[in-house]
Amino acid sequence: MSVTPAATSHASQPSGAAFIFKKALISAVVALVLFSLMIGVRTEAGNQGGLIYWTRFGDLAAMVGVVFGGSIIVELLRQWWGPVGTIRVVPPQVQATMAFAGRWLATALLVFTFLVPVIFYDQRYILDLGILVLTYVMLGWGLNVVVGLAGLLDLGYVAFYAVGAYSYALLATYFDLSFWVCLPLAGILAAFWGVLLGFPVLRLRGDYLAIVTLAFGEIIRLVIINWQSLTGGPNGVSGIPRPTLFGIPLDNSDNGLAAKLGIEFSPTHRIVFLFYLILAMALLTNWVTIRLRRLPIGRAWEALREDEVACRALGINTTTTKLTAFATGAMFGGLAGAFFATRQGFISPESFTFQESALVLAIVVLGGMGSQLGVALAALAMIGGFELFRGFDQYRMLVFGMAMVFLMIWRPRGLIGHRAPTVFLERSQAISSDLVKEGHG
Amino acid sequence: MSAAQATTPLLAVRGLRAAYGKIEALKGVDVEINAGEIVALIGANGAGKSTLMMTIFGKPRARAGKIEFDGRDITGEPTHEIARMRIAQSPEGRRIFPRMSVAENLQMGADATESSEAEREAGLERVLALFPRLKERIAQRGGTLSGGEQQMLAIGRALMSRPRLLMLDEPSLGLAPLIAKQIFEAIRTLNRQDGLTVLIVEQNANHALKLAHRGYVMVNGLITLAGTGAELLQRPEIRAAYLEGGRRS
Repeated sequence: MSVTPAATSHASQPSGAAFIFKKALISAVVALVLFSLMIGVRTEAGNQGGLIYWTRFGDLAAMVGVVFGGSIIVELLRQWWGPVGTIRVVPPQVQATMAFAGRWLATALLVFTFLVPVIFYDQRYILDLGILVLTYVMLGWGLNVVVGLAGLLDLGYVAFYAVGAYSYALLATYFDLSFWVCLPLAGILAAFWGVLLGFPVLRLRGDYLAIVTLAFGEIIRLVIINWQSLTGGPNGVSGIPRPTLFGIPLDNSDNGLAAKLGIEFSPTHRIVFLFYLILAMALLTNWVTIRLRRLPIGRAWEALREDEVACRALGINTTTTKLTAFATGAMFGGLAGAFFATRQGFISPESFTFQESALVLAIVVLGGMGSQLGVALAALAMIGGFELFRGFDQYRMLVFGMAMVFLMIWRPRGLIGHRAPTVFLERSQAISSDLVKEGHG
Repeated sequence: MSAAQATTPLLAVRGLRAAYGKIEALKGVDVEINAGEIVALIGANGAGKSTLMMTIFGKPRARAGKIEFDGRDITGEPTHEIARMRIAQSPEGRRIFPRMSVAENLQMGADATESSEAEREAGLERVLALFPRLKERIAQRGGTLSGGEQQMLAIGRALMSRPRLLMLDEPSLGLAPLIAKQIFEAIRTLNRQDGLTVLIVEQNANHALKLAHRGYVMVNGLITLAGTGAELLQRPEIRAAYLEGGRRS
């Protein structure tokens, strides 16, 4: 156990030029086989309906060449900048600086987020984007409870988002209830559905759990589409009331907020209000999660992820532990859904496809399972990045695919793979960091 | 059988049968553990020692027979309920939580047994006094500990529930002899100073029988011999099967 992590990763990865060349050659051969029919031969229907074809060996050679070269570059990059385990590239000073930056990054980000509506007051586009990013931050933090903490792979998280959205939309349009009454109701209903999903999947883990949750997400969507009389089916629900500032509407009317404050009405007021609303909701999610992690229930979630059998042997009721994880995650999803509905004013089943689940899950995984800051950064990168590349519409999926591949090579545990402990001893500060190096025993 | 026979035992296992599918692992086992005793359960691989421990813990379920803890029938109770009666175990393979810190691992032990803050503190102090190595590693992730430290952590975690009965499954498995000795010493200390009742399942018969007040020998799912630790150590068949035989090979 006295081997340092850097040394182990060296030993397990041969790193000669011959090795790189061999690996690139294999990639090139695979590419040749794959592309020979896809690119090398082009077929089309001829004038008489017959099949005509011509060869494009030049393009094929170019593609194989790109794969060969690219493979060498990736291998070289990997050697210079290895995954999380390798520490040889980063000297301790830099690491210390990065740790310092990491500590302040969260605070800086939070302050900046608070100031966004002030700085970008006249840029509606940025405000809208900020609201979108924050919605996904909240969804990511909610799913993080289920996937990151409790280790239950949930591919149907969008179902709870949908339940929350439709709860608010239907309660508000049918019964004229206000947003602030519906918000907790949407959370409770989503949590209820979380428990309902939890029961049949209690015994499942890993792949099997993923499949059932995936199916659950689809079931909810299909029910919404087909229950026309209640949900409007594919036409969705429109005319969902906008939120009010505790009863004061944010509109142009005489008893609107602008009129009451005696300032000129501007539609931006509502956007700014929505921005701070979702920010508050996301921060609430974060706060609750952080608090729960310090309590026995949060500890039990994490222990459940690590070893279910050991949990049971310690007297943890794994049934209730799993159900509370599902319910808590679902509740946050539902709250975010209610916000989504009030912001859009219109919802339809199209907003709740599997792609949304996949996106939120990608945010959690890329952020580093269980890391609150990592999830926020990943949401910013994914949603913000998506918008950034809007100009290159055709290529953005390509860019994203590549970005994800590189991220998984360099940081296989996600952006922030480090997990902060939640239990401290009062006297533990006295221990020098030299004593607690990894692999010291 | 020794002195405390007249009083009811803390744990009484009677005619216990358990099976994995069609393979019967326990074929009618009787074991008694009195309060304040260390009892060793020895036997070869596959004799059913671990199965007995796990069946006491409710998994696999007993097919026949009865398990009584402190006069209460606990046969068929779910595992977590049994653990909440403050029967603790350090399971085979230690099963610590690798990504959680040592401190969190220890707290997990106390979480389910409704311990007050003071009891938690006292328990933690006791564990860290017993295993000073854990104190040095308190902020480290469990998975980064050495095998011996992980075993200490597994025992420490079990102790955090303030157990009335501690069951240890092969605590010396895969450890250097010196570390194994430390672990056995700690168990002896716990028994003498805190009056802790211990059931220890071991392949290392020599160590276990020297430590234990009484021992049971298990062969093919049945208890074949029982007696005090010293008695069993002197039995020729034990010497042949578990001590000298082991030394020769």
